[in-house]
Amino acid sequence: MNLRRYHFALWVLFIAGLFLLPWFVSKGTLRTFIFANYLAIFAISWDVLSGRTGYISFGHPFLIGIGAYTTAILTKHFDVPVEMSIPIAVLATMLGGVIVLVPALRIKGSYFALVTLALMELMYQLVQVIRPDLTGGTRGMSGLPTLTRGAVNGYYLSVTLMVVIALSMWLLMRTRIGTALSAIGMNEEAVSGSGLSIVRLKMFAFLASAFVAGLGGAFYVHYLGSVAPRALFDINMVFTIIVAALIGGVSTIVGPVLGAFFLTFLLEYLRPYLPGAERYLIYGSIALVLYMYQPRGLIHIATGVWDRLRRL
Amino acid sequence: MLQILIQGLLLSGLYALIAMGFTLIFSVGRVLNLAYGTYLLAGGYTYFYFAQQLGLPKFAGVGLAAVVGAAMGLAKFQAIVKPLKGNHVAVEISTLILAVVVQAGIIFRFGDSSKILLPIVPGVGRVADIAIPYSNLIAAIVSWVILIALYVFARSTHIGRAMRAVSMDPKGAALSGVDTDRVNAFTWGISGTLGAVAGVFFASYTQLYPGMWVAPLIIAVAVVIVGGIGSIFGTLIVAHIVGFMEIITSSLIAPELRGVFTMILIIGVLIARPHGLFGREEP
Repeated sequence: MNLRRYHFALWVLFIAGLFLLPWFVSKGTLRTFIFANYLAIFAISWDVLSGRTGYISFGHPFLIGIGAYTTAILTKHFDVPVEMSIPIAVLATMLGGVIVLVPALRIKGSYFALVTLALMELMYQLVQVIRPDLTGGTRGMSGLPTLTRGAVNGYYLSVTLMVVIALSMWLLMRTRIGTALSAIGMNEEAVSGSGLSIVRLKMFAFLASAFVAGLGGAFYVHYLGSVAPRALFDINMVFTIIVAALIGGVSTIVGPVLGAFFLTFLLEYLRPYLPGAERYLIYGSIALVLYMYQPRGLIHIATGVWDRLRRL
Repeated sequence: MLQILIQGLLLSGLYALIAMGFTLIFSVGRVLNLAYGTYLLAGGYTYFYFAQQLGLPKFAGVGLAAVVGAAMGLAKFQAIVKPLKGNHVAVEISTLILAVVVQAGIIFRFGDSSKILLPIVPGVGRVADIAIPYSNLIAAIVSWVILIALYVFARSTHIGRAMRAVSMDPKGAALSGVDTDRVNAFTWGISGTLGAVAGVFFASYTQLYPGMWVAPLIIAVAVVIVGGIGSIFGTLIVAHIVGFMEIITSSLIAPELRGVFTMILIIGVLIARPHGLFGREEP
């Protein structure tokens, strides 16, 4: 597993800091943190699938959307309690993960990315047309049951979820499975030459990613209390998730979390100057420059600086 | 029936023009330019600004849109594609980020609401009671002219042959004395021009709004994937398949479903035949 004592020290510090936060910051900042937490979950999910194996997914909202819509429809129209609907939503999302897996068995690289993009757009159009009485059509659904009241409770729920997912995925990726998945990203033939089953490894990565996406999507819907197709199956959503994972540092699990916090707060601090979608002009430019400068992300820059300081 | 035929032909011509610039980059540079839709966005808004807000003649507006598109293509090649040295995933991700940046820039300058573009050539012709807006007719004719010109260009001029050589084998072309960087830069310029001109027509066909770049990108992707790499002929055929299917679905089944066939086509063809229907096998 290659675990060091300072790994645990850093994790304990990080988690303690997050849990003590509500005593120090305002409710508004806390609400921003809630969004950052959910974005972090989505970015972790992207990282497990794409960051490791190199199968870039441009349609991650496809998975998140399955989770979100399943629990929304179940609670709204069938009066299923939330405790039941969220596990069902996660299972449904894992089925969706299998759908994404099928093309990944035959095609790779750019073509796979395009299939996922097409899946997302297909989902976007179908959700509005097929059974609009169930999905709410173009306008989506609102008035869904929420799990928590108030910013502090919402924050604790989201931060617990995020920390549990981040820590378990981080541990999982430090096992031999994680190493094998990284190896798929480098050279698939070599992995299968070493006697490992590529199909099984890919299936594992896709199902783990779908599990996280479904969990995040379902809890996110029950935090917002509403779901709308344009907010979900949007290229801006893809962009935010991918950029969070990339800017933080791909295939590290911790990186995407940092990236999500960095970008959510960047976007929030731009709000007083640029209120609308123009914020993406600065946000995107910073992301582009950072990505061109260091494709391996902030975490790589940070460890580089740390190494240089130690050598002084 | 006749109506579907005419509408399908007009739309398919436009789609062929949209897809052409994307195919060029995919064939010659071997990278997917996910910011391709922003040429259309920039072209549409340039035309809107010069021809409609400043009141310049319409053809000057189209010309300026072409110039802006070419400049964007060249800038993109120099600033993003060349430094990343053929790392496909990195190019795709950075062009995706760039696309969102350009979209935000448009919102910053022109606002979020959609604009109505006056048709380039006003008026409506009629063939057996079927309305044909002249603007769409011109778009289809222009796109056919450009496609034929491109075909002749790629076959019979020196730089066209160089482009084909690079698309077949970049190393081999470089060894035979072709400056691949120059050919690539040239191709990015042409691709930008085609995209921007297509943008003017596309915006007058639908409407002009900041999110306009996604739909044509998906159409271009579908046409290129199904048509395969390096096939002008394939591009043309598949543009017609996509265009006709859209018209047929929207007029016979339901208008909301018009894009669904395109997505199913992308997914189905990629899974069944990863190299497309008309493309050559990759080495």
